[in-house]
Amino acid sequence: MNTQNNNRGAQDHGKGLTEPVAIRWLLTGLALLFVGLFLLVPLDAVFSQALEKGLGTYITAIREPDALSAIRLTLLTAAISVPLNLVFGVAAAWAIAKFRFPGKSVLITLIDLPFSVSPVVSGLIYVLIFGLQGWLGPWLDAHDIRIIFAVPGIVLATVFVTFPFVARELIPLMQAQGNDEEEAALVLGASGLQTFFRVTFPNIKWGLLYGVILCNARAMGEFGAVSVVSGHIRGVTNTIPLHVEILYNEYNYAAAFAVASLLALLALVTLAAKSIVEWRMKVSS
Amino acid sequence: MSIEIRSVNKRFADFHALRDITLTVPSGELVALLGPSGSGKTTLLRIIAGLDSPDEGSLHFNGEEATKRHVSERGVGFVFQHYALFRHMTVFDNVAFGLTVRPRKSRPTKADIKEKVHGLLKLVQLENLAGRYPAQLSGGQRQRVALARALAVEPQVLLLDEPFGALDARVRVELRRWLRRLHDEIHVTSVFVTHDQDEALEVADRVVVMNEGRIEQVGKPEEVYDRPANPFVYNFLGNVNLFHGRVDKGKARIGEIAIDLPEYGEADPGPAVAYVRPHDIEINRLRNSAEEIEAEIRFIQGAGAVARLELERLDTRETIDAEITRERYRELDLREGEKVFLRPRNMRVFVGDYTI
Repeated sequence: MNTQNNNRGAQDHGKGLTEPVAIRWLLTGLALLFVGLFLLVPLDAVFSQALEKGLGTYITAIREPDALSAIRLTLLTAAISVPLNLVFGVAAAWAIAKFRFPGKSVLITLIDLPFSVSPVVSGLIYVLIFGLQGWLGPWLDAHDIRIIFAVPGIVLATVFVTFPFVARELIPLMQAQGNDEEEAALVLGASGLQTFFRVTFPNIKWGLLYGVILCNARAMGEFGAVSVVSGHIRGVTNTIPLHVEILYNEYNYAAAFAVASLLALLALVTLAAKSIVEWRMKVSS
Repeated sequence: MSIEIRSVNKRFADFHALRDITLTVPSGELVALLGPSGSGKTTLLRIIAGLDSPDEGSLHFNGEEATKRHVSERGVGFVFQHYALFRHMTVFDNVAFGLTVRPRKSRPTKADIKEKVHGLLKLVQLENLAGRYPAQLSGGQRQRVALARALAVEPQVLLLDEPFGALDARVRVELRRWLRRLHDEIHVTSVFVTHDQDEALEVADRVVVMNEGRIEQVGKPEEVYDRPANPFVYNFLGNVNLFHGRVDKGKARIGEIAIDLPEYGEADPGPAVAYVRPHDIEINRLRNSAEEIEAEIRFIQGAGAVARLELERLDTRETIDAEITRERYRELDLREGEKVFLRPRNMRVFVGDYTI
């Protein structure tokens, strides 16, 4: 008797968890419509606008010296800020997930700060510190060091804005994995470095890569903070996003969209890489 | 290797985990640290391993001070409660880990490592699973991999944290007998933590009963079971019935029952508590003497080697648990709701008003 009742109960329960077909289609349809309107249509617009005046114009817009310089600067900025935040992110996540120390919650809050502050404000902070009228401005000027309206400022602003990506990705992962495997390695005689490279790193490598991909996408695409500190000097302190803005303001739509399409391509590559890594993470856990 | 712990104290914030612990584990013994959760047994084990350090006191291996020695230099094997196997490594690589992280000078050759690991896998009966990953193993298999991994570095001391805690009952019993046999074979000084009294009593040479950061009693399994040092140990090692009474002029009065307590002949009158194991409660249908307690049978669980009865005293309405043999149960032909007479044997009286 009892078992029969239980079985029936389980079936009812299962049925209760699925929505009727019509509602399922409605919800899925709404989601797809939203994605289409807000993501696919704009993406299509970028590429069609970029190619509107033909492939020749497209290539010329990208090969023009100012554009090439913007691409180089963007790559340089990412090449500096991503490794920096990789090292910082791993170190911070390691400290937060594996150790108890005073000031831990303060550190977590600080890591989140760039997410909660408007990028424009982040840029202004650097101007306030390093700019000519800023705290360190006169001293820097006296020693002929240029940070604001120069490459160092752009890198600093980008590092700040992309600060949380790697750490934020790793902290929950490392917290969930706990200390047990590291402790086991230590008891077995492994040194700290051996423990990190042979035990910790293999467990976090996919999460780390995920964080790096997101960090890189943001580093290359950052506009607000970089815009404030860059000074928009053509061919010198313009990154790709800034170059797009200039071209757009000059009514040079085809060129603007051509350069913008590079960023859109970067987004697509990021998405693909992100999905592959997500799939690998699921497989490996 | 012998382990000596001298006056060790440990606090976590305002929690006093270990209070002045002094304990010696002779070389080659298998010792159980037994206690409820929060009694400090795991903390003590981690201090021996070097995973935690004591606030005060010292630790000695073979008479040599080892308090400050780094965890990786203590030569201990540690089996973690949840095994802590390296999830991205095969069984083989897990077991070989302790050998492959050695500095080049003292590292065995690849062939030697291979031979050693296969020998250990044979010892733990997992030879054919060397290429599997931890996620592909059952709980019992993981446990044995963890043990093989700990033994690979030829530890002087083997430490096990709740080694069978996460296994189901049947595997648990099998594995603990296997651990006992293994210990008889390799004779490495071993300390294991458990909250399961059966496990401690069955496997260990000596049992250390711990409670609230203190050691309550140390002794052979029979000693701690038959002659508990205090009410806590009595209560923790198996089921127990409590009878409250008074002690006066060398006699304890527990209800109708009087017990001679010559050692308390001089003591002032005061409260006393008598402890009786369920299997020391004799059940009769008829009253044989005045020193019997009348009770009503509330519940009978008759399946198994012994019949377990839940009774209610008619005078105080307190519940009493009793266990009688199957034969006795059949002979008496007991039914729920019937009135019977109980005669406690081997009562153990502790003077003072203990509450547990």
